[in-house]
Amino acid sequence: MISRVADHCFWLGRYIERAESTARLLQVTRTLAFDAELPPLYCWRPLVIVSGQYPELASHLGADAAGNGDAVQRYMTWAPDNPVSVRTSIRAAREGARSIREVIGHDIWEATNELYLWFMGEAAAAQYLHDRDEVYRHIRRSTQLCLGLVRSTMMHDEPMDFLWLGVMLERVGQTARTLDMHHHIQGAAEGQQPLLQTALWLSLLRACSGFEAYMRREQGRVSREGVVSFLLFEARFPRSLRYCLRTALALFRRLAPTRSGGTTAARARLETLDRWLDQQEKDGLPLSEHALLTHVVDEIGAACGELQGGFEGLAEAEFISRQAQSQ
Amino acid sequence: MVLIEQEATRLSTSTVLDGYRALPGTYDELVEAGGKTRQHALMVANLLGNMNADTFARCQALAELALSQRGVTFSVYSDNRGTEKVMPVCLVPRVIGASEWTVLEKGLVQRLTALQMFLDDLYGEQRSLRERVMPADLIFGSKHYLPQLKGMKPPGGVRIHIAGIDLIRSPDGVLRVLEDNLRTPSGVSYVIENRLITKRVFPAAMDRIGVRRVDDYPTQLVETLRSVSPEDPARSTIVVLTPGPFNSAYFEHSFLARSMGIELVEASDLFVSGDQVFVKTTLGPRRVHVIYRRTDDAYIDPEFFRPDSMLGVPGLMRAWAAGQVTLANAPGNGVADDKAIYPYVPDLIRFFLSEEPIIEQVPTFVCARPADREYVLAHLDQLVVKAVDEAGGYGMLMGPEASAAELDMFRERITSDPRRYIAQHRIELSTSPTWVAEERRIEPRRIDLRPFILTGKSGSWVLPGGLTRVALRAGSYVVNSSQGGGSKDTWVQEDATP
Repeated sequence: MISRVADHCFWLGRYIERAESTARLLQVTRTLAFDAELPPLYCWRPLVIVSGQYPELASHLGADAAGNGDAVQRYMTWAPDNPVSVRTSIRAAREGARSIREVIGHDIWEATNELYLWFMGEAAAAQYLHDRDEVYRHIRRSTQLCLGLVRSTMMHDEPMDFLWLGVMLERVGQTARTLDMHHHIQGAAEGQQPLLQTALWLSLLRACSGFEAYMRREQGRVSREGVVSFLLFEARFPRSLRYCLRTALALFRRLAPTRSGGTTAARARLETLDRWLDQQEKDGLPLSEHALLTHVVDEIGAACGELQGGFEGLAEAEFISRQAQSQ
Repeated sequence: MVLIEQEATRLSTSTVLDGYRALPGTYDELVEAGGKTRQHALMVANLLGNMNADTFARCQALAELALSQRGVTFSVYSDNRGTEKVMPVCLVPRVIGASEWTVLEKGLVQRLTALQMFLDDLYGEQRSLRERVMPADLIFGSKHYLPQLKGMKPPGGVRIHIAGIDLIRSPDGVLRVLEDNLRTPSGVSYVIENRLITKRVFPAAMDRIGVRRVDDYPTQLVETLRSVSPEDPARSTIVVLTPGPFNSAYFEHSFLARSMGIELVEASDLFVSGDQVFVKTTLGPRRVHVIYRRTDDAYIDPEFFRPDSMLGVPGLMRAWAAGQVTLANAPGNGVADDKAIYPYVPDLIRFFLSEEPIIEQVPTFVCARPADREYVLAHLDQLVVKAVDEAGGYGMLMGPEASAAELDMFRERITSDPRRYIAQHRIELSTSPTWVAEERRIEPRRIDLRPFILTGKSGSWVLPGGLTRVALRAGSYVVNSSQGGGSKDTWVQEDATP
């Protein structure tokens, strides 16, 4: 497949996953802020911090903005100049889908386009004012529809593998960030009553779409150790770090004939990270959660950087020089 | 929607067609001057006779929503990134009778055959210039004539693989050629999309009526391209080359690649090595044999044409000249669809084929000819003046509607650079019943027709119908989508004779 198209597929996967994940995080945090008897600042500021946009938000809207749920939601949902807002992700996903429409097929294109048209139209803006939860739900359902269509309408070969690689690498980063965000909230709630602690853990599970799966696995027992090990190491849970990493590595193996420098370096880095996580588990998590998650987020970022523009099987210059030598 | 149609039959007392009349002095595609429905268009009259304004408005809204969701758009260059607009569509179809189409089809193939022979001749022995069928200075003065290509033969032998010929109908009922498009004619995707929409909105009607299908165009196109490959067609790689997502016709580029099942590439995906063209893939470079390019000549190869172009593939013309890659359409075709050459096409048909032209064209004054120029300057306020190197309805003077200042401006331009201009009397383009949303009724609006002709190794094929464009504004003659035009589904009646 064309290298440029591989790059577009990878990013399409990332943007769709990112839109879903951001909408879910906003939806869950909103519920948490209503229920949890925590000051709004403790609920919303961590969300902005882990998204990497805290300095921008503070410089645009003032340091107090992070404690204003409405301001944070507006910024994370609608702001066109926020590189990780839902709007930016949906727009980029739609632009990407449009430029590889012939590769992803009509159904995925139409689902992405419909989401974009709805989100940018009056209906979504009006609904945001009187039924905000439904807006987040709509975004999540539409993005999940796109991802479902990817698996059920595309050929399971290179383009889908690159797209899914994007989904997995975005997701592993998102889960790590969400867990880290929770670490911030938890820190603020230190010494509070156990009931609140439990509410926070459940909220974290919901933020990762893992509430029901976790409760079934643990038969209703909620503990810090249980939740952390579930989100880090549960290989059967499709949003755990281990699941996403292993799936990404399996995709790399399927894409093995791709001989580019970028993919080789990224794959090696992720293999190392996977082994490192195994070791952490064996050693009983010696690092602080925050330190561990920071390492994961950094490594994923570096791997994505290596992939950037690195989808070319054999660079043009190298090909031409080889061809010249053989003549 | 079947429900809506049935409901309409039951409820309607007044229909959207009530009171529809042709404009004076204009041919209407649905009704005769006296108001009687034309025989071949009865199917449309029956369909509309079942609907009142409410039901039609609902169908129209459904169609527009579907087009927007399907992303059937074109871009206008109002800013750097280009703004996407949904192609406006009017649901009232335009019908062409079976017998008229049969003649038209023959005439189009005849015209294409002559134009192809003319191009071969121009880039070959130039007999048509020596024997003065075509004034040599017109050719050498055309910026679309590429003398560097003289003596080169295109791989596969065909030059005009895809042609779009613009036709208009004058008040006497005669369809005439207005313009040839032999470079990168666009619009065929709207033909296919419009048909999909009609089927969705009027399923019952489409079922009953015999209309020739248009959805096999992509298959015909890919077979056409395969047939002219420099290598074994079965093992050839064919790609569509697009300038990118911000091009006004990007939807179509993507549509065609998708429906042909071939890759859509941008110039930066291609490179040339050893006079062969390769596409950069995740598995390394792969050889490309046929390129359906939707970029203009000037932008395909910076080595050959414009060093400043970012859109080109350096060395592409070398590969083409070496016979290693087929370009569709071939470079250099622009000289044959130059508006200044157009007046001579009937003579070219006579010269190359020894036949009389089957399709007439619009009488044209060539400002490069002194007698014509004098007439044009004296009658400027009655004429339509066109710059020969502009397209899309730009660079035009509509004499009858122009201000004194505009007339003066064009008078000066024509005098200082006569070769750049031709002029024609304004033709009262035929009209078709068209939905006018603001008025909630159907009124006559002016239309044209662009049939598409594919030519491969084994001859030409004409897509039944083509793109009908409509000037949506009342009184307007400009059908271009960039200037307030829309399109209609075009129905060619099935031949009744077995």
